[in-house]
Amino acid sequence: MEQMYAYKCKKCGKLHHPRYIVCQNPDCDGREFEALPLEGKCKLLTWTRVYNLPEGYMMPWLNFGVVEFENGVRATGQIGFDDGIESGMELVSTVGVVRTRRILYKESIDCEEYGFIFQKP
Amino acid sequence: MRQVGIVGVGHTKFGKSNVPFLDMLCEAALLAMDDAGAKTGRRNVIDQVFVGSMGAGMVNRVSGAASAVVDSLNIRPAMAETVENGPASGASAVKLGVMAIASGMCDCVLAIGGEAMREVSGWEGTDFVATMLHPTAEYKYGLTLPSFAGMFTRLCMTRFGVESKDLSIVSVKNHDNACQNPVAHIQRPVVLERITNPTYINATNPIVADPLRQFDMCPVSDGAAAVLLVAKDKQEELGFGHKPFVRVAGIASATDTHVVANRENPSDLLAVRLSAEKAYKMAGMKPEDIDVAELHDAFQILEIEESEETGLFPRGQGHIAARNGDTKVDGKMPINTSGGLKAKGHPLGATGVSQIIELVRQLRGEAAGRQVEGAKTGLAINFGGFGNNVVATILTTK
Repeated sequence: MEQMYAYKCKKCGKLHHPRYIVCQNPDCDGREFEALPLEGKCKLLTWTRVYNLPEGYMMPWLNFGVVEFENGVRATGQIGFDDGIESGMELVSTVGVVRTRRILYKESIDCEEYGFIFQKP
Repeated sequence: MRQVGIVGVGHTKFGKSNVPFLDMLCEAALLAMDDAGAKTGRRNVIDQVFVGSMGAGMVNRVSGAASAVVDSLNIRPAMAETVENGPASGASAVKLGVMAIASGMCDCVLAIGGEAMREVSGWEGTDFVATMLHPTAEYKYGLTLPSFAGMFTRLCMTRFGVESKDLSIVSVKNHDNACQNPVAHIQRPVVLERITNPTYINATNPIVADPLRQFDMCPVSDGAAAVLLVAKDKQEELGFGHKPFVRVAGIASATDTHVVANRENPSDLLAVRLSAEKAYKMAGMKPEDIDVAELHDAFQILEIEESEETGLFPRGQGHIAARNGDTKVDGKMPINTSGGLKAKGHPLGATGVSQIIELVRQLRGEAAGRQVEGAKTGLAINFGGFGNNVVATILTTK
């Protein structure tokens, strides 16, 4: 299981997700970051259920949401359940496979990518 | 600064193209050149061609499109560059043309936008458009542009009281306008009752990205559009003196965070606001000076929110204006007289140029059946990414 991270600027302390090249604080020019686990409780800010998924997703729908963690960092990810989704609800982040890419080279290789899957507490 | 204006416009019929991508670009280019009276071969006066396209390389397996067009049109040795700026590629091509002439480097520029998206399946097309999202924070999750539009709409519903029916009202209005536009993809009226009645709405207007339904978003289209730009001080000399000069009074772009979640307020469209403010400043104008607007309604919620961010209506009042009919052709502030992306269609790279052409038609008084009486100044918003790169253009005949 992979770990998701927030990235703390070593110069000003601002937390980021995802990783940036230069600190996003307009008054800072930091370029070095400390990776800190980004996990735990979060609040659902908005969400959607999508039925026209792109190539490679063989399911009838997927739920997506934007959350805010207790440290103020926001992230977008999949929502791992269908019933009772409401903006403002409390969730917890888990990490799981969010996409499988098939790479064709002599024989096909499935490459799994990990990301946030938000669940009920 | 040197005055730059449009003297020729060309627009293919949007929808499903029966000709290859490059031929479609050339068709629009020749229509614009013929409109202006521009010649080819030894009599060519075009210094530069810009082609705006998002998917030429990825979808159509065509790179170097601008070079190919210059050769096909026999306007060598004109300079040629292809511009990629997502769905704002078209207006970016026009912006670069204006910059080239204003700087004195060129006197005459042909700006073309085009996309042939229907060469691939809907799934592949949806995936291709989604590649403009952040690769690790958004795209890899299966997020798409409709996904973000759905989440954005939910925020606007909570913040401003926008209702699903408001989106349908905008959709019906744009379909009505497209019926008067011979180059629109879907020239068919839509009945509000039919797409909003709860008894059968899931059959006639199914959910695509909750809360968005099919009629709350644009179709997938092929198409191309072109404009011929010229310096005011060279219009006569280059042989375009007989054409009305539609002046580019202001053109500007602005950017916002790539990751939508990281915006200070994710229900704001900051790049729309900033690009419009810059264009107004360049033109020496205010929102009250705008007679007609083409806004980027890839999703109907965007027409509402862009109408507010550009200052055409107060914040939170865009959906009320739509309900009141203020954005109809005969309303106080006509928006998307062309049918908008919703019904005219949205071939990504073509859209920005197409919006500008609709304004030219309005300002020349050539928009038969959808003409805004006395229109002298128009605003276009071409929206790239999910609002992370936006181009605003103001045209005028004043």
